[in-house]
Amino acid sequence: MDVEAVRRDFPILEKNGADGVIYLDNACQSLRPRAVIDAINGYYLTTSACSGRSMHRLAEEVSRQLDQTRAAVASFLNASRKEEIIFTRNTTEGINLVAHALDVGEKDVILVSDKEHNSNLLPWQLLTQRTGAALGIVSSLDDNSFDLAAFEKLLDDRVKLVCLGYTSNLDGVSIPAREIVKMTHDHGALVLFDAAQAAPHRRIEVKALDVDFVAFSGHKMLGPSGTGILFGKYPLLEQMRPFMVGGGTVSSSTYEGCEFLPPPEKFEAGLHDYGGIIGLGAAVAYLQRIGFDAIERQELLLNRYLTEALRESPRIRLIGPAAPELRGGIFSFHLPGIDPHRIALMLDQMAKVMVRSGQHCVHSWFNKHSIAGSVRASAYFYNTIEEAEVFVRCLRKIEKVL
Amino acid sequence: MFCIAALLILSVLGIFSARYRSLAKDALDCVLRRVTLRPCITGFDEKMKSRILGRVINRSERAARFLNRNFELLAWVFFILVLGSTVYAARGLYLFYVTGSCNGLNQESFCVFDPKGENNEVTDISQGCKENPPTAADLTLKGVDLSRFPVCNPAGKKEIVLIGCYGCSYTRKIYAPLKELAAARGARFRFLDYPVKVSTTLSARLAECVYRRDEARYWQLNDILFAAAPEQLDDPEFAGKAAMQLGLDWGDLGGCVEDPAVQALVDRRMDEIAKTRFYGTPTVFIGNQVFVGPKPRRVYAIALDGLFYWLKGDGGSRSEGR
Repeated sequence: MDVEAVRRDFPILEKNGADGVIYLDNACQSLRPRAVIDAINGYYLTTSACSGRSMHRLAEEVSRQLDQTRAAVASFLNASRKEEIIFTRNTTEGINLVAHALDVGEKDVILVSDKEHNSNLLPWQLLTQRTGAALGIVSSLDDNSFDLAAFEKLLDDRVKLVCLGYTSNLDGVSIPAREIVKMTHDHGALVLFDAAQAAPHRRIEVKALDVDFVAFSGHKMLGPSGTGILFGKYPLLEQMRPFMVGGGTVSSSTYEGCEFLPPPEKFEAGLHDYGGIIGLGAAVAYLQRIGFDAIERQELLLNRYLTEALRESPRIRLIGPAAPELRGGIFSFHLPGIDPHRIALMLDQMAKVMVRSGQHCVHSWFNKHSIAGSVRASAYFYNTIEEAEVFVRCLRKIEKVL
Repeated sequence: MFCIAALLILSVLGIFSARYRSLAKDALDCVLRRVTLRPCITGFDEKMKSRILGRVINRSERAARFLNRNFELLAWVFFILVLGSTVYAARGLYLFYVTGSCNGLNQESFCVFDPKGENNEVTDISQGCKENPPTAADLTLKGVDLSRFPVCNPAGKKEIVLIGCYGCSYTRKIYAPLKELAAARGARFRFLDYPVKVSTTLSARLAECVYRRDEARYWQLNDILFAAAPEQLDDPEFAGKAAMQLGLDWGDLGGCVEDPAVQALVDRRMDEIAKTRFYGTPTVFIGNQVFVGPKPRRVYAIALDGLFYWLKGDGGSRSEGR
């Protein structure tokens, strides 16, 4: 992959030197290539109609493009059929959909890990409060990686659903997905992966994994904000009750009841962000063109550099395993006693280095470990070693001064 | 402490740029919480400190380290400086309101509200090169026989004395407002004509002659002379027309104007005026205060009726009220 050529696709990266930004907040939201922006604009400039309702040519064109995107996402995930792809607003909505649509009883147990994003923790907390089901927490190992043994201990026949972040937004650590799915299925339970941090960075083959649900967002994988995907195995989707209902979810209704459409329509209530979904399709195409091998290689190159360069820093406390290979593109750390927001603001002031600071919506983990927060630098394939060098140089200065 | 200082500065900056308004709002929230002994939750001070450190560190790590370690102390120093300059600025504003100059009455140093120093400009009388030229502090009415000069509204309790000349541009600027103010405030008004410009001696003599004949017409003549173009003031033809306008016979008046005794009287009056040690026109005496240069109307009104003169009514009345 020619990084410099790729960077030219991203309008925000066009400015170089002191005028340019060093964007290392990709775990929050990625930048968008021109292809995605053009696709969104294309919708508003050329079609701008609704899909699946009107019969005119513009509506037909939008329906065709949406169908194309659904098929592209299904292919992206290697799903069995495109009807397994539900358009959502984001990962959070996808997880909430499952939390509301799945039958869970008071004897059931939901398992999550101890470092879930709030979006994969709170829906299950509310579900257990609503139904009387129990919520089990799988503790991580000391280096924050997934503890399969602890997980196995918690797995029993009462477990209805295992909901795990595929790749943690806290430290970039991915879980052993294949083993987890197998172990869970062996106990007759279902698996949902929060793939918000995984889908942009690695290939997820749902058929090969045999995972039941996967939720992710468009905005972290070059797509527009306000777009997301929920994958669900078709037979499961068929059994599930709808989450939000309304226009587009039924074939007919009377004053007494209605007849729901089959998935995915029964989960896609109301008018969607058509421009966004078409943009998401362009993002998927762009990612496939770049290729996940190249993406992973570049992220590893950057994270290796960061880890090596900052390894000897006496005050930097890395969150997650020491080996960069286990942390994707994320380098998350804290300086004991120093407000992480201060470091982030200083990085921005010093060299327009954009990183995330705080608790990254993983409050539960930070509270458990009594850490105020962390600074998270998250690289993507368009970041360069030169940018990483600037980050390291600034961080070293900050470390000396604070 | 940093929040208070920042609030003051950002509030001012916020007037000019929306960018600073939200910061000022954060600073205000921070200040309000601090004064009620609650922690600042916006993280305003932390945010600002980080931004400042981020900028300083690029220039000097040592300075950034010093700033980081002594931020609270520096915030105090900064606060005291801001407080000091705020007090100083407020004083300047007050002085400008009361005296027309930020630095005090008749002070000619730079004032941001009067950058050109227009409120202190005078038409200099030729003092020549004196070892100790007079200053505003030397000006006095003691020993000056004011009864020799015309007075408008003689029943008034307070008095405004204006030393000026018909052809002096700064006198022309304030004559009408002062006369109107005296009328509105029921004060005596004396105009002491000191022809600084040689070309206005005809006007001085004309005024003297009209005053001798009819005091009421003298004030009307003044209005005509101050309204006329300066180059007309020494034009006999214009003087004749002015006399006609006042219903006076120019044949009779012209003789008076040319009478050397009248010029001698004008000269004596000038000698009397010189006793005030004034050094430029306009110079205005109100009570114990002396105003050199054309001040805004409110300055004279304050001198007459105090800071809250507008509460006593007048509302900038333009009535002649003689």
